Amino acid sequence: MADIKTKDFSKASAVSILDPQLRRALRQVGTGFDAARRAAIDEVSPEIWDEWREEARRIKVHSLDHLDYYLDLLEQNVTKAGGHVHFAKDAAQANDIMGELVRTRNIKVATKSKSMVSEELSLNPALEAQGVDVYETDLGEYIIQLAEETPFHLVAPALHKTKEQVAQLFTDKLGIPYNDDINALAAAARLALREKFILADLGISGANFLVAETGTLVIITNEGNGRLSTSAPRIHVGITGMEKVIPSLQDLAVFLRLLPRSATGQGITSYVSMVTGPRRADDEDGPEEFHLIIVDNGRSKMLADPDLREALYCIRCGACLNICPVYQKVGGHAYGWVYPGPIGAIVTPSLVGLKEAQDLPQASSLCGACREVCPVNINIPRMLLHLRQKSAESPDPSERSAGLVPNLLAGSYTRVMRSPALLSASHKLGRWKQNVWAAMPFFPFSKKGGMIRKASLPLLSRWTRMRDLPELPKDTFRDIWKKELSKDKEGH
Amino acid sequence: MDRSLGVPKAEFLDSVRRSLDRKPAAPDPAYPRLLDGVSSLQEEAQRIRARINENRPALLDRFAEVAEVRGWNVHRTSDPENAMAHIQSLADSLGVKNAVRSDQEVFGQILVDAPLESTGINVTTVSHGPDRSREFLRSSIIAADIGLTGADYAVAETGSVIVMPRKGMSRLVSVVPPVHLALVRPEDLVESLDDLFLLRRLEYHEKGGEMGSYLNFITGPSRTADIEQTLVVGVHGPKEVHLVLLG
Amino acid sequence: MDVSFQEDQTCCGQPLYNAGYSKKARTLARRVLDTFKDSEYVVVPSGSCAAMMRVFYLDLFRDDPKMLKQAELLSSKVYEFSQFLTSVLGVEDTGSTYSGTATYHPSCHLLREMEVRDEPETLLRSVSGLELTDLPGAETCCGFGGAFSIKFPHISEGMLADKVENVVSTGADTLVSCDMGCLMQIGGGLSRQDSDIKVRHLAQVLDQDQSSNS
Repeated sequence: MADIKTKDFSKASAVSILDPQLRRALRQVGTGFDAARRAAIDEVSPEIWDEWREEARRIKVHSLDHLDYYLDLLEQNVTKAGGHVHFAKDAAQANDIMGELVRTRNIKVATKSKSMVSEELSLNPALEAQGVDVYETDLGEYIIQLAEETPFHLVAPALHKTKEQVAQLFTDKLGIPYNDDINALAAAARLALREKFILADLGISGANFLVAETGTLVIITNEGNGRLSTSAPRIHVGITGMEKVIPSLQDLAVFLRLLPRSATGQGITSYVSMVTGPRRADDEDGPEEFHLIIVDNGRSKMLADPDLREALYCIRCGACLNICPVYQKVGGHAYGWVYPGPIGAIVTPSLVGLKEAQDLPQASSLCGACREVCPVNINIPRMLLHLRQKSAESPDPSERSAGLVPNLLAGSYTRVMRSPALLSASHKLGRWKQNVWAAMPFFPFSKKGGMIRKASLPLLSRWTRMRDLPELPKDTFRDIWKKELSKDKEGH
Repeated sequence: MDRSLGVPKAEFLDSVRRSLDRKPAAPDPAYPRLLDGVSSLQEEAQRIRARINENRPALLDRFAEVAEVRGWNVHRTSDPENAMAHIQSLADSLGVKNAVRSDQEVFGQILVDAPLESTGINVTTVSHGPDRSREFLRSSIIAADIGLTGADYAVAETGSVIVMPRKGMSRLVSVVPPVHLALVRPEDLVESLDDLFLLRRLEYHEKGGEMGSYLNFITGPSRTADIEQTLVVGVHGPKEVHLVLLG
Repeated sequence: MDVSFQEDQTCCGQPLYNAGYSKKARTLARRVLDTFKDSEYVVVPSGSCAAMMRVFYLDLFRDDPKMLKQAELLSSKVYEFSQFLTSVLGVEDTGSTYSGTATYHPSCHLLREMEVRDEPETLLRSVSGLELTDLPGAETCCGFGGAFSIKFPHISEGMLADKVENVVSTGADTLVSCDMGCLMQIGGGLSRQDSDIKVRHLAQVLDQDQSSNS
């Protein structure tokens, strides 16, 4: 499995949020991808867009509710087309399958187009350990492969890099003269990878959709590397999560309308490639063998949990990342594993363990913008809340992680709020403390003009380091009501 | 390879069923689209073709418009001579030395070989045979400055040219050379993605479960916005794409 | 219309619910259901509390059919303040006066869970002397999020900085919102900058008896 750094979220996010370059890159996400998405939706009309979303969701609900049936149908039809389907229950097994294929087919060079699942598996190091030269060919993935980093965004993995950084990277790793013109950088990548496409024995791809009816793997791309990786080498292996299957080829239409628009604001990508088995005998070119590796790696757990199943409807468009104010502040790496952003805050804990990734569902203000933009209407905030419930209350110790202090605080809060008398007393106590502390000469507490300006005390200090806090007023609404308004009422 | 690697299918599906808490059973009611038999697909296809026939001029206009917006350089002419002249002039301005093309019906109407060869351009038809191996053809593709194809379908909704590999239609001809030119005939046109997929399903089921190994949508040149979200045209696929719409 | 205040009401339970303590949240929710069982309408002057009582109680009691029925009944009676004025009382002009320029920040729960979109601005537009100006990035969260604001203070502060920058950029002298959390967060940020911008709940702006600049 890919390195899990989810425990570092607090620290990592505190650092990334201050990085001026990340700030610049992330600020562009709102004016870039998100603005393009909105324009694309306006072009089709919000009414039609919502119809498409409902249709897409219906298809996903049905597909996942009957996942066993459709995986079976898919396997039959891929096999009928001359392909081979392999089922992997976890990352280790998926890598073993790849390893076996690589060994028995004598693979030396592999070109790879984007696959998020392969990141879960840490596939590249596993292949390299077997002596295979693996080349990421998606420009963003190529850049982070050279930089030895993980993806920063679902759709644009190298979103965080400036062109200057990419130029320096290319100079260092490819030995070419420094040139930070973006067109020149793309041309350099084209040149460097051209011969790899032709040399490669193996092409690896992910899958955006799997069509059960015809046994077809669908990838939606812009650069052309997807086409080359699935056409030039003698073997093509598609690696996919098991949730990608849809029933009929006819169902594909609505997803082709939703995904490019949600992701980058395009009406359609430059290429949509549909693979149904290996080449046929009379084809001019194409792989002699087609293998599909279908991976579980924890998805059956999500499927089994009615609160989490929805997250499997995700079509990986990245719209939730682009709109999320938290993602826009901390960036993709802080999330510590393969999937960042709102959907990542659900998928990552579900696949690596909630205790391990407990911060992710908590690091949200539950603003709901993600749900608003999701093309399949996934209720992300609802699932974040349910994960929080598991963290606080689950009888399963591998899920529950709420510590003593939060539990005590929750308990005290409940106790006070169950009793108006206690609440009233707490208010009076708070007022008294406020005034006493403010009056003490060297105590780290000060207020002015009705606002607390400094309170270097546990918890309070987290608020007051950058914000003022209104002080507890002398009279609560209850007091005012009792004194003034009930008098008024009686007076009428 | 005869055996599957990894977990046996039955075991994997069992695990999925356990998650769903269900017994092995097909969806009930069945998924409507999967109930479509050949005859209902044929009926629908007839309706589609009738609609396209009725609206062809408008669809051609729409296709040309959308294709242009999506990055194709569109040239419209119903005159084969005009089409040929356009291709020649394009090849000339690009400084083409080597061209590859597919072997499709449209090249019987628009005869490109002789005119291009007369200006010193080497034209290779990528269709394997006793005198031309696949290896030789692959090197021609790699050496080519331009790839020419017809279109199996042209989708007005998206401005896409659809290419489907088979004998005489290489997957690489339209993606390896830096420029791609597609000849689109009026009869290639369909209106929407729904039309396209219905027709593909018809072929699949008519042939007892076979529709070829691959299908590609091509909509404009190769692109990326991976560096600083700035659009760059021409990454691994063609930088320039031209469309000659023969109607 | 007879306005009453149930004096022994305390908290709707949202902070507990948001932190995942659904059992403890249900303890407080039961109190609320009991407190308001005879009320015809329950008007809530804060968007997120209203959302809790109208929307999230249904999730909180999803496994308890008996309590769920009560929650559904309460839900049908709960309105946020501006929503109540416009939808139930049919009032779009309160005849108020307020001199100044205001900009309105919609709270996330009010906007997305209560679906109260235009009502506050409709009411503000009718206030004579008040000039309403659009807030850039209005629909972006201010960063409060309850406990989020102290669990992840650095992220909350970052979101707040953007919101404050947008508020200041409008040139308005008053920031109006319908949610206590947002008012605390944005108010706290403006105050720390020694800003002169006044931070007001919608009700304060509409209150005729209040002199315009207090």
